Amino acid sequence: MRERTYAPSRILIYLVVSLIAAAWLAPLAVVVLNSLRTNEEIAQGSMIGWPQHFAWSNYAAAWSGFCVAETCAGIRPYMLNSALVTIPATIFSTLLGAVAGYAVSLWRFRGDSWIYGIVTLGIFLPQQMRLLPWTIVLRDTGLMNTLTGLVLIHTIQGLSFTTLFCRNYYVAIPHELIRAARIDGAGFFRVFWRIILPLSPPILVVTVVWQFTHIWNEFLYGVTFTTGQQQPVTAALIALSAAVADIPQHGVQSAAVIIAALPTLLIYLFGGRYFVRGLTAGAVK
Amino acid sequence: MTITVTRRRLLAGSAAALALPAFARAQGAVTPRLTAISQWSAGSDGAAITALGKKFEEKGGIWQHSPVPGFTTEMMNKLRAQIIAGDPPACSQLKGPEIAAWSKIAPTVDLDAVVAAAGYEKVVAPDLAKLHKPGGKWIALPLQIYSTNMLFLSKRAMDKAKADKAPVTWAEFNDLAEKMKSAGVAYPVANGGTRPDDGQKFEAALAGISPASYRAAIMDLDKKALEGPEIKAAFTQVRKIADWMDPNVGAQHFSTNLKRFVDGDMGMMIMGGWAQGVLRNAGFKFEDFMIAPGPSDNGKPVFLLNADAFIFWQRKEADLQAGQKLMAQLVMDPAIQTMYSQITGSIPVRTDVDLSGEGWSDGQRTTAAALKDAIASNQAVLSLAHNMAQENGMTASMIDVITEYVKNKTIKPEQAATRLADAVESAR
Repeated sequence: MRERTYAPSRILIYLVVSLIAAAWLAPLAVVVLNSLRTNEEIAQGSMIGWPQHFAWSNYAAAWSGFCVAETCAGIRPYMLNSALVTIPATIFSTLLGAVAGYAVSLWRFRGDSWIYGIVTLGIFLPQQMRLLPWTIVLRDTGLMNTLTGLVLIHTIQGLSFTTLFCRNYYVAIPHELIRAARIDGAGFFRVFWRIILPLSPPILVVTVVWQFTHIWNEFLYGVTFTTGQQQPVTAALIALSAAVADIPQHGVQSAAVIIAALPTLLIYLFGGRYFVRGLTAGAVK
Repeated sequence: MTITVTRRRLLAGSAAALALPAFARAQGAVTPRLTAISQWSAGSDGAAITALGKKFEEKGGIWQHSPVPGFTTEMMNKLRAQIIAGDPPACSQLKGPEIAAWSKIAPTVDLDAVVAAAGYEKVVAPDLAKLHKPGGKWIALPLQIYSTNMLFLSKRAMDKAKADKAPVTWAEFNDLAEKMKSAGVAYPVANGGTRPDDGQKFEAALAGISPASYRAAIMDLDKKALEGPEIKAAFTQVRKIADWMDPNVGAQHFSTNLKRFVDGDMGMMIMGGWAQGVLRNAGFKFEDFMIAPGPSDNGKPVFLLNADAFIFWQRKEADLQAGQKLMAQLVMDPAIQTMYSQITGSIPVRTDVDLSGEGWSDGQRTTAAALKDAIASNQAVLSLAHNMAQENGMTASMIDVITEYVKNKTIKPEQAATRLADAVESAR
């Protein structure tokens, strides 16, 4: 049996990487531990510590117990709201982004780079600047305080990123492919469905992971444009933690944070590998 | 019996409602309904507003409360969005000078008649009343009061220092802190690390040294007062306090260190009355600590007011108008104020509420007595740290100076005073 030998430089690399990983994971560890400690235990001891006994009740309270003002239904209804906003908005913005990216990269027309520039400009606009315009749009469409309104906002705002991602991916597709299809009589959408979309999975995974995380974690629009029972999970989380003149409910808060983070965590676990692969797909060509 | 609603009957009804000064008729015609937005979603705040809503429903109203979780910014965003959308809530939580600022954005309801009927004005601190009638008419109603400069004393730290009396003046406070320090109390002053926490130390210092200078400098932004010797004296006192604090407390909530306070590892805490509720909820007992008004050099209590309030926005709907009236009556009702304060740990706005009965803590009685005395000696002033003395922008630039001074001990009191005056000038 051959003994494995490690060069000192390699050991050093592992050491540094482990240290960085530990530093990054430490807050998560504190949250996980606190999600299993009672409020009194935390208040009477310190913020960091092992649970004296496992307070699983925090998870029950977080899921279906705690109150946001008059409503005591825990995080559950808000999780559903978030899903009802995030899933359609992710699908719509991804599909529209793919079509738009395809149009500006492969279907050249007059002013296409201008349109592309204006769409991606949306990335740089601060959220707060867009609050008032959206208020007026939602008022005029009658979508104020509806989940549909949030889907509309996230679909349209997501277009900036999804168009950017898809366009950068599609520019690498050889134009001959499109030309050949056009000679065979294929139109705009036929080319898209038959040629572009089958080539797209890597970049679609990127946009789905990106959009899903982004929309799921969004707070400002959720809290401004919806009220009470219509709010997404981020609003409910803040409701749990924002009491300035009250003792923070660390145990229940931690449990709620972990539950609320699960969907994005799962998306990353399943899509993470493809995420990096898709992002670098264009770069190495 | 069925009542058919015809246009004529509706017209007749509304004409009658307009003609009759007795609002009761109009109220009888419609079911009062109230749309309200507030930040109060969790903890005792959430419980208190829920209880208020129940009372509203008991009186036959429809209660539609939308809590806006988060901090003031989120609520302001939402309020602005609703006003722009032409759908302001019938009433919303708003406090301090923001009431005046926001009343210019959208029309508010004139509450003078309801306030007069309730005899409310006579029992509200004059400075507080002024905030809620910015144009000379009542448009908002305060609901509960906290003092931001209550002094909490750790019983164990007091035992260590062999002391049993709460200090009254800043000199006595400093003596006690020294005694605690030499008796082995690691940090004679307990602290968190948030901006309001630092701000409270400064406002307690200045108001305790001279309430008149506080009023002139901080509330009226008088240039001469801002450059006066009292400001420097206050910064000197704040430096002493800062030297007794744990410097290794980052931007932590004050409650993070409550155990160290109760254990006698930290001695005294300058905090709002709400800390009583926080201590109780954390499992500590009243025997663990004492509570007294913050230090005041002239011996009479100084009361830094922090009051939550509701502002009422104009609506055309008869049911919402009836709801606003009902809500206003409830908010001013001594019984409702009692219920509300007993849930949150604050004290009622009405100075004529009797706190001797059951359901009130000694801390609340002390606070209420301090408010009465402070009003009598004109020493009830508005808190800067909790957005009562100035609008948000001005408050932010002043607190910037204070919080930097607390954390950076190379800044001299004279420099801090100059910086404060400069900050006020540039934010004006």
